[in-house]
Amino acid sequence: MKKPITIKKIIVTILYIFFFVFFVGTIVFPFFWQFLNSFKTQRDLFSIPLNFWPTEFTLDNYREVFSKQPFLDYIINSFVIAGISTIFSIVIGAMASYSISRTRIKFKKIYLLILLSITLLPPITIVNPVYMLIKNLNLLNTFWGLALVNTILTLPTSVWFLSGFFETIPVELEESAMIDGATVFQSFYKIIIPLVSPAVFTVSILVFIASWNQYLFAQILNPLRIRRTITVGITLYQTDHVIPWGTLSAASIIVTVPLIILVLILQKKIISGLLDGGVKG
Amino acid sequence: MKYKMNKREKMGYIFLLPSIVLMLAFIIYPVINTVYLSFFNYRIQTLSMGKTFVGLNNYRMAFNDPNFLDAISFTLIFTVVAVTLETIIGVMFALIMNKKMPGQGIIRTAVLIPWAIPTIISGLMWKFMYSEQYGVINYIFQKLMIIQEPIPWLSDAFLAGVATIIADVWKTTPYMSLLILSGLQTIPQNLYEASSIDGATKRQQFFKITLPLLKPVLSVAILFRVIATFRIYDLVAALTNGGPANATQSLTLYTIRTYFNFGNIGYGSTLATITLLISLLISLLFLKSLRAKLEKV
Repeated sequence: MKKPITIKKIIVTILYIFFFVFFVGTIVFPFFWQFLNSFKTQRDLFSIPLNFWPTEFTLDNYREVFSKQPFLDYIINSFVIAGISTIFSIVIGAMASYSISRTRIKFKKIYLLILLSITLLPPITIVNPVYMLIKNLNLLNTFWGLALVNTILTLPTSVWFLSGFFETIPVELEESAMIDGATVFQSFYKIIIPLVSPAVFTVSILVFIASWNQYLFAQILNPLRIRRTITVGITLYQTDHVIPWGTLSAASIIVTVPLIILVLILQKKIISGLLDGGVKG
Repeated sequence: MKYKMNKREKMGYIFLLPSIVLMLAFIIYPVINTVYLSFFNYRIQTLSMGKTFVGLNNYRMAFNDPNFLDAISFTLIFTVVAVTLETIIGVMFALIMNKKMPGQGIIRTAVLIPWAIPTIISGLMWKFMYSEQYGVINYIFQKLMIIQEPIPWLSDAFLAGVATIIADVWKTTPYMSLLILSGLQTIPQNLYEASSIDGATKRQQFFKITLPLLKPVLSVAILFRVIATFRIYDLVAALTNGGPANATQSLTLYTIRTYFNFGNIGYGSTLATITLLISLLISLLFLKSLRAKLEKV
């Protein structure tokens, strides 16, 4: 059924375009502004009235990001810690999801309740004891301490998402493997794991981003200069008196551009992941 | 077959073990420890003297501590206002994203940008945009003739709160709108068709069909947003550092300072326990939707 073009339809379309431009503009603008600023000279950045577009193009800000602080170390630290956290969270989460959705163990409800309460728990409640614990384990300023904390904090996401996927795999597949003589463990990693690998990938992205963005625990557990993560390091360019906005803009562009590219490429997977983990589960 | 079942269960328990160990070490023990220490006078400066039991003294102290009262009222007001705005804008946004119009791909990608950016970095971005002299917000507002003089966004107590809320809404509404969108997509289309045959207006459809059917998704989304907003730390740490004059010092920020700057572990634990109790209360308000969430697993 083709509707004729009416005045009402035109108005709706114009309104839609208006909302579209306004919303997308508002969302993207801060990032776009940061991008422009990262190429501006000090003169442009601190001119009154302000120069919207750079009058001169410079890469000095990017150079300063790396010369003022060991920013490359920060990137590597963030990357390694988020990587370890993701692997831990997925492996431990996959095991837990398997027993929840595939075996008839007791205390399932209590386990899930604790898992849910992790997401509801304010991190500040555990900060001090976790700090003391990591300190006593000699894991302050290491990759492992922070990675362990990230692992437990992202575990609910992993388990919620993965257990939903385990349930979609027919039990018969496993049973026939076991009749052929496979052990439970073999059927877990030879049959179940390959089948859920698309789901594993989606959860990995979510867990990685969450760990990458961790600030509170990163600040407390890894304060040492060479062990800082990006989120902690980036706040330390400013002093009480000087805020080097050009450097800060360049540094945040360096951190956010890879994330945004990741988001652009994996858009569909991320959205389905967020939705499944957030509401359905 | 029976033998295999038992083996399977054994495997199940073994598979749960690593996560249970982590839960005990990093969640359950720390929570108990924090609550326990909240009844003690325990300071870094006098560590050698150990801790002394003071009963509910720390709690009494908290409710006479203007810094704590300011922190808690800022955090509560902030949470209520920010989540209300996020919900309203999120619903609008989700309704637009649910339309079969061109450009949806762009919206969905754009929506993920604030979500993916670390909060600490979005805080720094906004800090520069809010700058009184060099900030782009005052620049745009002046160009549009909305204001005559630059607004001191971050150096006025009230405006700093407004600024923090705007930055938070920018960062988290996209995520909220995605959650709401997922709820919208579960509503059967024929409900709308049937009701429009019966002569229902768009507004009636929204209030009689969309909103009621959206309620389960909406309440879970709101709960998680309230819980997450209540623990606000990264944003204020980057944007205002609690200022001006502690006007935007959130509960978590004040607690972190009590622990690590003032070295007062006992009192810090009390503040952390109060935060826990309030979060618990909020969760209880949403018990029904939480139970539905648990049942689905």
